[in-house]
Amino acid sequence: MPAASGQLVVFAVASFLALAFALLMVVQRSPVRSVLSLVVTFFALSVLAILLSAPFLAALQIFVYAGAILVLFLFVIMLLNLKEEAADEDDRPVQRTLGLLAALALGGLLAGATLRAPAPGGVPSPRLIPAPDEIPALGRLLFSDYLLAFEALSLLLLVAAVGALLLSKRKFE
Amino acid sequence: MSPTLAAALEGAAKIAFVWACVLGAVLPNLIWVERRMAGFIQDRPGPNRVGPFGLFQAVADILKLLLKEDVVPIYADRLLHTVAPLILLVPAMTTFAVIPFGSTIHLFGRDISLVIADVNIGILYVFALTSVGVYGLVLAGWSSNNKFALLGGLRSSAQVISYELAMGIAAISVFLAAGSLRLQRVVEYQASGTFLGFLPLWNCFPQAVGCLIFVVSAFAETNRVPFDLPEAEAELVAGYHTEYSAFRFGMFFMAEYLNLIAASAMMATLYFGGWSLPFLHLTGIAGSLASIAVFATKTGFFIFLFVWVRWTLPRFRFDQLMNLGWKVFLPLSLLNLLWTGALVLWRVV
Repeated sequence: MPAASGQLVVFAVASFLALAFALLMVVQRSPVRSVLSLVVTFFALSVLAILLSAPFLAALQIFVYAGAILVLFLFVIMLLNLKEEAADEDDRPVQRTLGLLAALALGGLLAGATLRAPAPGGVPSPRLIPAPDEIPALGRLLFSDYLLAFEALSLLLLVAAVGALLLSKRKFE
Repeated sequence: MSPTLAAALEGAAKIAFVWACVLGAVLPNLIWVERRMAGFIQDRPGPNRVGPFGLFQAVADILKLLLKEDVVPIYADRLLHTVAPLILLVPAMTTFAVIPFGSTIHLFGRDISLVIADVNIGILYVFALTSVGVYGLVLAGWSSNNKFALLGGLRSSAQVISYELAMGIAAISVFLAAGSLRLQRVVEYQASGTFLGFLPLWNCFPQAVGCLIFVVSAFAETNRVPFDLPEAEAELVAGYHTEYSAFRFGMFFMAEYLNLIAASAMMATLYFGGWSLPFLHLTGIAGSLASIAVFATKTGFFIFLFVWVRWTLPRFRFDQLMNLGWKVFLPLSLLNLLWTGALVLWRVV
């Protein structure tokens, strides 16, 4: 099946890019390049979302994360004019050890989950035509089954916005 | 011929058609139109020496950009300095994929919808790409290692993020009325009836405020006068592209024009009925071809509007720009959403 193998190639490239740039983001010394690596990772993730026939998710991933949140990151980094991090001075040994332990625990958990997951039942049928409108269905779900979580999240965002306003006001007094 | 092959051929033909029109016909002529219009508005001839009426001026301009020396400052971040114009150019070139440029045409026994990809996330796709373009501006400013360029880059990111909000909420009202994010559906909806019995159902009538917000925000999003603060030459030399020369500068130039064309096409599609004519149903192959002409005319009008405004209005101050975006347009766009919601609820539109 040529279409399916094409999907496999795209999947392989996108996953490789996502992982490689995620790694680059952590290893990179220059904060600007770190942010940019994360942008590439988000793009690769949105390609994966398209492969799963979820273009809405892919567009939101780029629109919200890459287009708004990371631009703000970049904006702040440039405004503060952060240069490359100074050479390693191990001034926080406790955090470093705890961070390493937490990362190992998370890695182990993810590896275990991947190994125990049931094998996928064959390659999903390729869809050349975009999926039927999944957006109304998504909206219906958000306002019925997940209403509580949805409202709680919007409340959280509101609190964050008010808090940010308060913090920025206090500085001028 | 298998359906997959036919679909692939159809897609390739549409891409070739759109890019031939945009890159081959509109873009070079736009350079000429802008320079001649500037001359007309400022009461001078404008470029009139290269070819009849100076029509080949675009060729001369592009050749000049290609042949100039390409300078990269020593302290610039070489990688990002090279990539930045591309980040701006690629989204600008791919926006056209979802804009419907005509109705459905019946050719070779197939019904061909005249849009490259009528994806179900239509408007969102355009917004996602626009928001990616910001990286090009910001990185161009940052990687140049130049104060003016950095200031230009920062301004552009602040400006584009601010106006994207109002523009996005104005667009939400459009698909609230049309009931779909699909742009082809948005056009069909506008062609489907009348507003108050005597006006066409173009979104610019029931949502006049939203239309105004969208059009003005488009000027800010494309960094055109009166909102061209990222490259305000009086204070920032040339803003984010100060350190760019030759064809790298040409890429910024091209991206700006492509964004302008795409924004004009979006205005025509979202608010002015796209390829449809009011009270007339275009049918048959001739009708489909006429719909392409109608779309081109409407888009051409908005391109003309961009050029007209550029040479007529002075530049805003940055605080005025921010005030307008956050304190006027954002609340107004929310009110417009409320208004459209009421219209939809009481089935007026």
